Amino acid sequence: MGKGKFAKEFAKGLILSNPVFVLALGLCPTLAISTSIDNALGMTLAVLIVLLGSNIIIAAIRKYVPNITRIPIFIVIIATLVTVVNLIFHAYLPDTYEALGIFLPLIVVNCIILGRAEAFASKHSVIHSIADALGITIGFMLALLMISFIRQVLGTGSLSVFGIDLFTLPILGEHPIAIFILPYGAFLVIGLLMGLFRRTGVMKGE
Amino acid sequence: MPAKSALKNAFPIILLTIVVTVCVSLLTYVDSITREKISAQEDEAIKALLTEMFPEMSRYEFEDDIYTVYSDATKLGYAFLAIGKGYGGDINILVGLSDAETVKEIEIISQTETPGLGTRISEPFFTDQFAGVDINDITLSRDGGKIDAITSSTISSSAVVEAVRDTALEKVKQLEGNN
Repeated sequence: MGKGKFAKEFAKGLILSNPVFVLALGLCPTLAISTSIDNALGMTLAVLIVLLGSNIIIAAIRKYVPNITRIPIFIVIIATLVTVVNLIFHAYLPDTYEALGIFLPLIVVNCIILGRAEAFASKHSVIHSIADALGITIGFMLALLMISFIRQVLGTGSLSVFGIDLFTLPILGEHPIAIFILPYGAFLVIGLLMGLFRRTGVMKGE
Repeated sequence: MPAKSALKNAFPIILLTIVVTVCVSLLTYVDSITREKISAQEDEAIKALLTEMFPEMSRYEFEDDIYTVYSDATKLGYAFLAIGKGYGGDINILVGLSDAETVKEIEIISQTETPGLGTRISEPFFTDQFAGVDINDITLSRDGGKIDAITSSTISSSAVVEAVRDTALEKVKQLEGNN
C-alpha cells in the first residue's frame, strides 16, 4: 500500500486502462470534439474537474451508500458537478464553452465518469480514487491530443493552439483534407490508432 | 425492534434526500455567483457584434427581438437575429438594416455547415453581397435575385438567403405595426 499503490493506480489509466483506446469509454465526446487541440484541452479540463470531484465524493461516502440507491446518488452527484462546471465555463471560459457546445453538459452521461465511480471509487479509498481520476484523465487527454493533432493537421493543413499559429504545411495548407475534420474522419483516426496500438502490443484489450 | 428496522428501511430515502438537498444548494450558490458574469458576457458579445456593424453606435435599445441602434439621438438602423436551416443544423445570422428597406450588413454568428464547402457562407465574398440590397431582392441569382450562391453549397447559401429575407420582411412589418 502507500506510495507504490498510488503510483500504480495513477499509471494504469495512461496506457493499460487507457479510457479511449483500451476501455473504449467516452467515445462520443472523443469523436465529436477532437477537431482541434484547443477543444481537446478544454474537454480534458472539464472531465478532470468532474471526475476528480465525483471520485473523491463517492469514495468518501462509499461506506454509507446502500446498494439500492447507489446509482441515483452517483448520478445526482455527477450531474451537479457537471452543471457547476458548465456554469463556470460559461462565465469564465466563454470561448471554450462555445466550442464544446452540447458536449459539455453531456459529460453527465459520459461513461468514463460513472464507469470509474462504479468500478473504482465505490470500492477504494479517497487517496486511490484521486490517483485513479488523475491517471484516467491524463490517459483521456493523451488520446484526445493524439486524435486532435492528426485531425487538425490533416484537416486544416495547419496547427494553431489558443490563437497562436504554430505551423502551416506547404501543400496541405492550401488544400486541406476536409474529411479529417468531419465526423467520419474521427472514426477513421480512432480506428487506425486503436488498431496500431493493438498490433504493436502497446495496449492490450481487457 | 420495529422502530430500528423502520429506520433501516428509510435510510436510503433519507440519504438520497440529503444528497439532493446538498447538491441543489450548491447549484443555487454557483448559479448566483455566475449569473451576473454570464449575462454581462452575453451583453458584451452582442455589443461587440453591433459595434462592428454600426461603428458609430453609442447605444442600443432592445425590444421585441429587434435591436434599434442609435448614435446619440440619430437612429442608425436596426439589427435582429435570423436563423437559417442549413445543411448541418441551424445557422445563426445577425442582420443589420440601415432603414426599413435596405440591408446594411449580415454577419454569420454561428453555423455547423460542411467544412470547406458550406462554411464559406461566413466569408466576406458571400456576406458582402448583402450590403445595400433591398430586402425584397434578397433571392439567389438563379431565381432572379441579387445574391450569387456558393458553388457546391447551394443548400447553405439558400438557407442564409431565405432566413435573411423572411426574417427581414417579418421584422419590417413588425416595425411598421409599432409606428
